[in-house]
Amino acid sequence: SSHEHKLNFKRSKEACLSYIQDALLQKQWKRAAEFLTCYVESLEKDYSREHIGPSEMIWRIGTEILWHHSQSSMKEFNCFMEQMKTLGVKRYLKVCLEHVFHLLCNGQIDEAYQNLSLAESWRFGEQTAIQDKEMKLIQAYRGLLDYYSWSKQKNILLENGEDGFSDLAVEQEMHSYFRKAAVNLKEIIKIPGVWDVFVKCYVDLLEFYGDHNEAHQVLNEYAYNSKFPANPNAHVYLCQFLKRQGESKKSLISALKILHDIVPSHELMIDFNTMLQKSKKRKKRRLGLEVIFAALDYAGWKENAKAWSCLARQVKQIVISDKHLNWIKQEWNSRKDWWPAFHFSRYLAKRNWQENKSLSYEKALVAGILLGKDCKYFKYVSHQGCKAQLKRFRMLKKFVNRHNPAYLRISG
Amino acid sequence: MEFPAALFPSYFGAGPPREEGGPALVAGWGEHGQVLEGGPGCLQGQPAFVPRRGATGERWEAADAAAVPVLLPSVGCWIPSPAPQDILYRSGLCKKLRAGKSGATLDFAKQLGHFFVDHPEDAFGSLGRLLHKNFYLGNSKLKVTSSRNSTIRMTALVEDINRLEARRGCPRQHLASRLRWFSHLCRDWLFEVPLGLLADFLHEELIQQWSDLLFDDSLTGGALAWLPPKDGGTPVGCLVHPGGQAMNHLYFQDVVLEELPRAQGSPAQFELSGRIRQVAAARVDGQDFVGVRSDYHCGVWRVPGRKGAAPAPLQVIRTDVPASCLTVSPHLPGELSVCTQSGTIYLWSVETGLQQLRHDPQTMFFRDHSPWHWSDFTAHPRVLSCADRTGLQCLDARAPKRCHFDLFKVGEEAGCQQGERVVLPMYLGRAHPSQYLVTTQFSVYVLDERLPLVPVLKWAHMMKAPPLFAHLMSGHPGRSHKVLLGASRTQELLLFQYRVSFWGVSSGGSQSACQLAGTPQKLHSIAGCLQHLPTQLPHHHHLLQQRLKAPAAGLAATLQEDGPHKSMVIFQLSEAGDVFCQRLTHKAAQPPAAPSRDEATTAPGSSPLFEAPASSPQYRCWLRALSRVCRELPQYTWAPSLSQRRLFTRKDLEGPAGPSSLQRQVRQQLRQTMQEGGRIQRWEPLALQPPPQPQTLEPAGAPDPLSTRLTAAWAGDWEQWWEERTSFSVAQRQRALRERRRRQKRAQGRRSLSASFTSSLTYQSELSELSDTG
Repeated sequence: SSHEHKLNFKRSKEACLSYIQDALLQKQWKRAAEFLTCYVESLEKDYSREHIGPSEMIWRIGTEILWHHSQSSMKEFNCFMEQMKTLGVKRYLKVCLEHVFHLLCNGQIDEAYQNLSLAESWRFGEQTAIQDKEMKLIQAYRGLLDYYSWSKQKNILLENGEDGFSDLAVEQEMHSYFRKAAVNLKEIIKIPGVWDVFVKCYVDLLEFYGDHNEAHQVLNEYAYNSKFPANPNAHVYLCQFLKRQGESKKSLISALKILHDIVPSHELMIDFNTMLQKSKKRKKRRLGLEVIFAALDYAGWKENAKAWSCLARQVKQIVISDKHLNWIKQEWNSRKDWWPAFHFSRYLAKRNWQENKSLSYEKALVAGILLGKDCKYFKYVSHQGCKAQLKRFRMLKKFVNRHNPAYLRISG
Repeated sequence: MEFPAALFPSYFGAGPPREEGGPALVAGWGEHGQVLEGGPGCLQGQPAFVPRRGATGERWEAADAAAVPVLLPSVGCWIPSPAPQDILYRSGLCKKLRAGKSGATLDFAKQLGHFFVDHPEDAFGSLGRLLHKNFYLGNSKLKVTSSRNSTIRMTALVEDINRLEARRGCPRQHLASRLRWFSHLCRDWLFEVPLGLLADFLHEELIQQWSDLLFDDSLTGGALAWLPPKDGGTPVGCLVHPGGQAMNHLYFQDVVLEELPRAQGSPAQFELSGRIRQVAAARVDGQDFVGVRSDYHCGVWRVPGRKGAAPAPLQVIRTDVPASCLTVSPHLPGELSVCTQSGTIYLWSVETGLQQLRHDPQTMFFRDHSPWHWSDFTAHPRVLSCADRTGLQCLDARAPKRCHFDLFKVGEEAGCQQGERVVLPMYLGRAHPSQYLVTTQFSVYVLDERLPLVPVLKWAHMMKAPPLFAHLMSGHPGRSHKVLLGASRTQELLLFQYRVSFWGVSSGGSQSACQLAGTPQKLHSIAGCLQHLPTQLPHHHHLLQQRLKAPAAGLAATLQEDGPHKSMVIFQLSEAGDVFCQRLTHKAAQPPAAPSRDEATTAPGSSPLFEAPASSPQYRCWLRALSRVCRELPQYTWAPSLSQRRLFTRKDLEGPAGPSSLQRQVRQQLRQTMQEGGRIQRWEPLALQPPPQPQTLEPAGAPDPLSTRLTAAWAGDWEQWWEERTSFSVAQRQRALRERRRRQKRAQGRRSLSASFTSSLTYQSELSELSDTG
């Protein structure tokens, strides 16, 4: 009966697919290609209601094979992609986008641009939500390529400008690229998402043409709109912009404070700490101590000599001035039960000493103040340092011994 | 670790997943996903783009054609867990029913029947004892006696039951009225345990067993751990694995990494009080901490950094509800995190004890019925992640109620599919301090806790069963990290690579966004070595197949660098307790595309091991040990067979005692000729005798005892035959024995006396012969 026929066909199709899958997972591209030619038949009798239909399967498998097959060429790949585009309406934009990606990765920027323009002009009935998203991406990538053309023209112009003559044609071309890029980039960054590249390019365009307000607004929106994910880069871009614009320290600090709140382990925290340490306000220096303590909580910072030296400097300052020891005490309270094992074990003392002497110096200073002169870390490092007759380690020992009362006040 | 200067573009939505989902076989192929400007090639003024997926990765090739056993099978035979056919109802009627779209039908009646038969004391104990005088099971009619009034004949009822069993599965079966009457009458009082209650429990248990068969999440995380060699020592690592009949023995086995890993010395062994579900390990300050989870107990061991130091148990905790997760802190010595199925999460420190961080039996983001919970560590030693099937949250152990954030949600945020569920989260600290791996039944996600909810990498892994095990091997900076995923039931093993590389000066020395590198690769499973084993007898083959196809229970791996040669050793543990391993070698430079290259990679024979697979010493040793260990196994698994011994006496089966006189003569001739240094031209007896008559106990002419006995039995008077035989035999046998001894004496002629008392055991007679002539 026809039902049985259908079932048998389905079964043989599944078997074929599993052979292909097996070959792909073992990197046997040739074998996979041979099976795929058999599988193409399934297009004719497509009864499937699966969410990935045969046409998409053929596109995916075929693409993967052509990426890796030793005898495939770019020409063949393009040819295959064109065929795949006509195969399914639903997936047209997706296939276009992937085709463009491949062209971009292979350095064929112009071909990619053509493909993007073609895809953009494609219309077919009503668009689904996914197609809408894909279309927006296509436009955005076209905008990105326009931006690169713009920046190329800009560089030509700047070079020529140095020579002292300007080229009106080049300038006009550049402006037209700007308009095309700006329109498309502006669109996509309104939608919630991660658009680091697009935002950077758009801001660059705006800044070049002097529209700083718009740029500031775009970056603010990207960083602080709650519909967008909490992307650290959004804050970093904002900070960089503020720095470039020479905005007040206050606004920069408040931007960095927000970054500190969402990502205490961000690498900008070192800059933030140095900035705060220099501040005359007590509150800010207090915040600086908090920032550097919080950063060193994270495993990724464990062996960061720069961060340790920041902490060591500030702690030393506080101890010498004998003011605000309670700041250290408060920070230390929530850490004293696990920092000794996490940072100041004897094992780490040995390893730090072997691998990075200056790191072990900074850490030993902090350990000596926080845990006293009997702490394992300090004892080991200062002993080794004195044995090696290094002057700064002898100074370190003296310093810690002299300031042992500070330790008593912190721990008490 | 720096945050990437720019991330791959992606949309961000909120809410439940919109994309319709389902397992898709090829969903992970042929897609770049997104591209990002960067890479080393942007010097020519043209932007260079890198794809999110499809960048070139390292080439790793299998060194051998199949996985090989590392350890000999452990003592005590493995009892396979129930298979679907054991608990499913299978009959013609049911098949028809199932063709219509109903689910599996559990064979409830059969299991209840098994219980009654296997544990009659527990089922009917007291009433059985009370009633057994009143039930008569014999064939003959009951005589009218005083006991007649209080005794009933049950034979017909038993016959009815037997008939019912024979007609099992017949669509036209109807209960005999007698049976129905009886069961109606005694249902309420006959059973020791009330039938309704018993049935409820049994049904619950059956459903549990069935859901375990479909997906057993108690194995999540895997029960195999590899403790890498200590710094600067010989390449001797330690494999921590469960073993024994109930998988309740914990072994620490030293393993030397050579061409193939080799066990060294005997393992340190601990007997635990429950089946080991998970073994987790982490190295802190040069010491290894090993956490072991069974259903109601969790324990922690320390393996000191010194070479040859024995592992020491540190602490054990007991839980009321089965624990579903145990992970060891990579930051602080002696810290672990424990989750129970009731949704309680503890931070467990060997020094300070347990600290409850959360107790919430509900799932976090939407309602899901699974009680499974998981927890792991993050980049911050005081912040723990906790997970259920709907997503992951991070919470600060210092203020668990106040400080927490969502790390991963099954929803539109991560572009999940409908029906997608978290299977295994894993902290990827060794590769990158703030990265996290989350696997679902469809995809793998790499998350960065600095950018929660948005996966920095997503890829459809296309595995047939959900990946319950994962293992990370971190690469050096600039090189790819390797992740192994393992499934339990299908034993699938998948290797994929991802990269968080530094681009160098061209883009300001910043760190790039996370990229999938190379294509995923399927590795050998344990079952795959079956075809490489020597040919077996069919039933041995079947047993072997059953053993090798046992679901996987754990996964461990290690990278090994020996100068320019890099290799990867992957261990896989099965539920039967077998540990197999395979080696992959790194092919450094991508050779120019030769047409036959890709096909050649799978050809076996690249290693000396597989020149003649069947003769590989690993396999032979393992098979020999297995057959030794499982000698009793056939009795369990085969249909019962009748022993001959019960049907026939030994004497009936006995052959003629001792070597025949012809053999003796020939032997003697041979010996003589050898002494003389001559040769034998024709094999003929020294003297041409007629071949001796077969020796019988009975007088000649009479049929042999077996025939007479069978004849008598056929005629129906077997008992009488027996009577006759016992009375007849004493005199008869004495006579026969005397006769036999005389005959033997005659045949042996000059032989000494000792040879006449030949035993039925031939070797003894040969010994005595040697002593005669020697």
